[in-house]
Amino acid sequence: MIFREVEDRDLIAKARRGHVEAYNVLVSRWEKRVFNYLLRLVGQREDALDLSQDVFLKAYQNLKKLDDPAKFPGWLFRIAHNEAYSLLRKNRPEGEMTVEPRMAEASGGLFPIESTLAVRSALERLSDDHREAVLLKVYQGFKFEEMAEILSCPVSTVKSRLYTALDLLKQTLAPINTGGAE
Amino acid sequence: MSCLIDLKAYALDEVTRQERGIVEDHVRGCQSCREELDRLNLTRSALVSLEDEEIPRRIAFVSDRVFEPRWWQTMWRSGPVMGFASAALLAGAILVHGFETRPAAVDAAQIEKRIESRVNARVQAAVSQAQAKQSADFAKVLDATERRFETQRQADLASFQQVDEYYHQKMARLEIASNESYGK
Repeated sequence: MIFREVEDRDLIAKARRGHVEAYNVLVSRWEKRVFNYLLRLVGQREDALDLSQDVFLKAYQNLKKLDDPAKFPGWLFRIAHNEAYSLLRKNRPEGEMTVEPRMAEASGGLFPIESTLAVRSALERLSDDHREAVLLKVYQGFKFEEMAEILSCPVSTVKSRLYTALDLLKQTLAPINTGGAE
Repeated sequence: MSCLIDLKAYALDEVTRQERGIVEDHVRGCQSCREELDRLNLTRSALVSLEDEEIPRRIAFVSDRVFEPRWWQTMWRSGPVMGFASAALLAGAILVHGFETRPAAVDAAQIEKRIESRVNARVQAAVSQAQAKQSADFAKVLDATERRFETQRQADLASFQQVDEYYHQKMARLEIASNESYGK
């Protein structure tokens, strides 16, 4: 892990000096994570791919602004967050960004044949903010403080969003959990 | 659930080792919290079971001169080159400083002239001293020679006078002897 971190630092340093190939190696390491984060956030594969390209292009153009190369993951996901929310704002009317999760639908209970579909469906039922909190924590492994930096909000807000999302997911995925437990 | 234990932070691995111990101790003795933690763990397991998708197209950038840094930007960002440039700048500054603080060329010529005049004066003094000594020695030798010649001359003159006196006496004796023979 430490070795990987050092390698990323080296690639970032080279990319800052204009080595495009070094940056391509860096992209190849992070593109899958960024793409899946964006895909689960915006829901459309083509949109996620376009956004991924935009994210890495912006990251390259602003790489010299990155003070500490060790903070590259959080910095990259902050760019991804901003790009995704720009698209979501375009596609959705004003004020719909922070809607409360659809509790009634969620509590209706699902009996999916396949747990993957159920999980995907459960995530889609969350609001963008709640879903993003789950994505950053469960799938990307960021700490609360890092998430607060990515989302530009206090740690308390991060915890609130994440805990609410977990409660909702717990209810939505209850049939799966019960089935899995049996 | 009335317990004040943060089970979600525990399930999300956001607790310290000490907090972890507290939660685990509590859960062992509290059935409702144990069930809640089981539900959270199952939910998390279900979420993690969703696998990442492969990216449809790889993202790659090609070198474009428009976006490439200019030569001076590359130099500016390069540590070794900047170090070399700094060293060169420092060397240049030292060189300029050396030229600026060095005495002017006129001063050097003056010093050279001064040294030359001093050397010439000393050489002349030494030569004069040597010439004086040589003249004195020559005068001494000349004086000695003259005295030796004079002594020799005096001796020769005395000798010549003795010879002359001897011949005069002999001639006088011959004249007397001749007169005496003719007178007879």
